Amino acid sequence: MFNCTLKVCSVAVMAAAGAHTAAAAHWVRGYVVAFYEPAFRYGGRADYSRGTEVEPGVDCPHGSAIHFAVPAQVAKSLSLVHWRTKEEVEAIANPPADGVVRDPAGVYFHTWRAASAYRGYNREIETYINPFAAEDPGQPEVTSRIGEGFNLDGKIKPEDFVSPDGEKGIDNQLYRAWGCDAPWRGNNGNGTLVLRSNDKMLEGLYTIVIRVSGSKDPMNDDDATLEIGYSPDQIMKDARGNVGSDYSYRILHSDQYTRLKARVKDGVVETEQADIHMPQIAWFYNQLRDAFFRDGKIRVSVNSDGTAVGLVGGYRDWRDLYAQNVYAQSGGVQGVREHEDHVALYYALRRHADGMFNAKTGRYGGISSAYRMKLTPAFVVDPDKAMAIPVRESEARGKESYDATMAAMIKAAETLVPQEVPPASRELAATDGIEIGRGGVPIRGKGRLRPGDDNAKATPAAPKP
Amino acid sequence: MKLGIALGIVVCFSLAAADTNEMVPPAGPGVFTSKQVGTGAFKLVVAGHTFTSRGDIEKYLAYRAARLTIEQEAEWFTFKEDREKGDSAEPVPVRDPEGQRYSFRMKYFRPVWRYKVNESAAWTRWSPFSGAAFISADPKTITGFEVSAEIVVHKGPMDDADPLAFEAHALSDLLVNQVSPPK
Repeated sequence: MFNCTLKVCSVAVMAAAGAHTAAAAHWVRGYVVAFYEPAFRYGGRADYSRGTEVEPGVDCPHGSAIHFAVPAQVAKSLSLVHWRTKEEVEAIANPPADGVVRDPAGVYFHTWRAASAYRGYNREIETYINPFAAEDPGQPEVTSRIGEGFNLDGKIKPEDFVSPDGEKGIDNQLYRAWGCDAPWRGNNGNGTLVLRSNDKMLEGLYTIVIRVSGSKDPMNDDDATLEIGYSPDQIMKDARGNVGSDYSYRILHSDQYTRLKARVKDGVVETEQADIHMPQIAWFYNQLRDAFFRDGKIRVSVNSDGTAVGLVGGYRDWRDLYAQNVYAQSGGVQGVREHEDHVALYYALRRHADGMFNAKTGRYGGISSAYRMKLTPAFVVDPDKAMAIPVRESEARGKESYDATMAAMIKAAETLVPQEVPPASRELAATDGIEIGRGGVPIRGKGRLRPGDDNAKATPAAPKP
Repeated sequence: MKLGIALGIVVCFSLAAADTNEMVPPAGPGVFTSKQVGTGAFKLVVAGHTFTSRGDIEKYLAYRAARLTIEQEAEWFTFKEDREKGDSAEPVPVRDPEGQRYSFRMKYFRPVWRYKVNESAAWTRWSPFSGAAFISADPKTITGFEVSAEIVVHKGPMDDADPLAFEAHALSDLLVNQVSPPK
């Protein structure tokens, strides 16, 4: 990040300095994204719990989702699997401690993640690739009327939110659908996946930068430009571990880059409405890809200390969102660890989809969404030479797994014919030496299962009813 | 293996959106009937002579309810329970605005049956709300049956707090590979 040319850096510095003095000079402001999360509005009280409910609040009356958190909830979900007997369901929900491993938590983890992966209408169907083939286990959803985002369709509809400052017609159905999902719900960004993804971003997994420029007054300019995109430069921290101010970062004109017309009014930058390409939230390398907001907008509001807050919104393809949340590892690992159920999340996504209407299918393929960003001042510069987003060869297998698994899911959703788990998929990978056989049977073993393996011959580790 | 056969079928299909009309065998004459009984309200009946299982036949009726909703260019339907006096063994499901939301809950798709045994001319009614065990007669003796449901189709965002609401596309997607018309 320090190899920008002297000329470019000088222009940036001069422009940044000039922004405070000259009213009609070219001005530039740059930011690095220091925090990035879904714009979910938490309404709970961290000091309050009611039974198994986690922090009930005005957003979620019964608190966060408790999927795969307690045996009763597991039994409820598995009772929808018609090829399982009641005795089986109870046994899986309450596995004996002498099952797969001695640690009771381990038994729960592997038994539940295995069972969760096979909930289709027959025992052959892997659920996380074919979620449509399982019954809806239900998902708590946001009941509050207050929500952040943009009025993307220019309409005020009954299901829309009202923004905290009173704007009606806010389209953020992703918040409605997933706002009570345990790992994304939390006070001041302390949802487990919010914390995890931001930790990874700050540790160098990816960097996002924003550059705003214009030729009038940086506080009021009706002909400004906002650029957002991936930077190959790791976020720099100060001595206290916070994101450092005024470091320089390159912005790549890659497939995760967008240049938008913008207006600045009283220091608030708001872009035109257009498709936006920028990095999506990730906590594994294989998730690094384009967020792709359709008909999106970005707003940047500058704070008095020079930092800023950003909001990006638009319609996202449900398939991207589902894959982003499921396939970094495997659906079972993610679901049991984070207490979320991707079948419930799948149905909630599709039920609340409100954009990208497909006239051929008669269905919406996208859902309105918004994401918050905390922005730290930075110098955002172009690279010396055009360059693509760097590829980490060591992570190629993870990318291949994600891509293959997502492709199978999309094919299943489009054809409605259940798909096999691709050989490269992490749905087949062992976790702690435990693989998942057909029918949701945890199997001791190493390496990968292959489609067509006769798992009936493997050593069953499932609890006996 | 069923999945293997399914994968073979996939090869024959392009990646175009599934044509559900081709995925379910056509029903014979008189097997499925629908009659509009009010604004957006339809009475649906599935009839047959060869009883297979309650689940199979009710799923076919649910699938046809979903497809009819889609044909009406609507997004979801509500199932209207057919309770007669005394049909109170099963509580009426109540909406829970603060509880979990669903695209559908199959356990609340509870149509009413009537059937004939041994070529009898008389119909016997069975209600899922009566508390009586499902069709006490030997299934082999059933010579005719009708399963009926009344639905109201709706457009726009679904009322997912209503336990009797069913999102048509989601329900159709789930059932399309599971159903075939009775004979």
